[in-house]
Amino acid sequence: MLMGSGPDDLDTALAACANGDRNALRVVFDREAGRLIAVAERIVRRRELAEEVVQDAFIRIWTHAHQYNADRGSARGWIYAIVRNRALNLLRDGNREFTVEEVETIRESEQADEVMAAWQRLDRNSRLYDCLGALDETKRRGILMAYVGGYSHGEIAARLRIPLGTTKSWIRRGLSALRECMA
Amino acid sequence: MTDDRRDILSIADEYVLGLLEAADAAEIEVAMERDADLRAAIAASRERFLPLDTGVSPAAATEELWQRIEAALPAQDRSSSASGIANANDNRKNGWRLAAISAIAATLVLAIGLAYSVTRTVEPLVVAVLINEAGEVQAVVEDFGNEQATIRLLADFTVPRDKTIQVWTLPSREMGPISLGLIDGVRSARLDGPALPTPRNDQLYEITLEQAGGSPTGRPTGPILAKGLAKLPR
Repeated sequence: MLMGSGPDDLDTALAACANGDRNALRVVFDREAGRLIAVAERIVRRRELAEEVVQDAFIRIWTHAHQYNADRGSARGWIYAIVRNRALNLLRDGNREFTVEEVETIRESEQADEVMAAWQRLDRNSRLYDCLGALDETKRRGILMAYVGGYSHGEIAARLRIPLGTTKSWIRRGLSALRECMA
Repeated sequence: MTDDRRDILSIADEYVLGLLEAADAAEIEVAMERDADLRAAIAASRERFLPLDTGVSPAAATEELWQRIEAALPAQDRSSSASGIANANDNRKNGWRLAAISAIAATLVLAIGLAYSVTRTVEPLVVAVLINEAGEVQAVVEDFGNEQATIRLLADFTVPRDKTIQVWTLPSREMGPISLGLIDGVRSARLDGPALPTPRNDQLYEITLEQAGGSPTGRPTGPILAKGLAKLPR
């Protein structure tokens, strides 16, 4: 099956998945799996765990494709959300091959730059790039740590050396400012 | 903009960023099936942040990974209901109808459950209506708070021979999910669970498919069949 390159084709692919067309899932895989692995890896920090996340996510995409429709947002956003949720669950359960301490060590050793790199890599003409740039450094970093690295409020508070309550309210205010800026 | 509206937008963002506690995130996932405003807010939030993901440098997706995925795909059992060309409008209409029907059904089930409970001498402290991801009512849990609970199955479940349905609750984030017991066969059951804090309003209950004998880890490991939040009978 040959499809164009527009993200809209993912809608068509999901509809075909719901009807049992495995080639359509392969289309989604060919188009997005590389990025999805990288997204999962930023959260779970290990390639083999990231692949496991993506494997589980594709099975879920297949079994839940019939639930996708336009009022859940774009097909691409829906697919990425499934992978993100899987990765976050794996991280928060923390009960697979690694202890919490091991995962922490892995995360600490590599992290910070990659979180900020996700912002730097955005299209310089995009609203998201500008609006994140308009936030205070701490709010921007907190939001990126959460979204890109999968950090919890507590982890962000510890790393930015800010009290937990302050962290929560700063992130909430940052998110609100971001919504207004992008509206 | 009303406060409610602002709250929905704020919660949607925190859900999308993965910042909500597990119980709160589960609550949002149940609520979004019925709340179009919440669903729209989550969709908008996902789109706002999506470029942070789609801009990533791709990793190598190997043929071997695809083969593992393909080997694990179950057959799609929807040929009758989703045949032909899927049309976004039709899908949406069905989604709405389903959500409306299930919301009404949940209310009815709750009413029936309560009517039944007032005729008994011992009343449950909380009642939780469990729904599946499509928003369909699957079961009702009544928790009596004295290490006893009952579950009524209101849908047919296919349980393979080597699997069992396990009932869970989340008394608190700190305690994590606790097993209330296994359902012997596929039928309504009385559960003798461990001693737990008094069940509270909005406490999460769920049923998962686990290997026979129950989850080996003591935590849910299998797919979630249905989940719902407890309500206090009034």
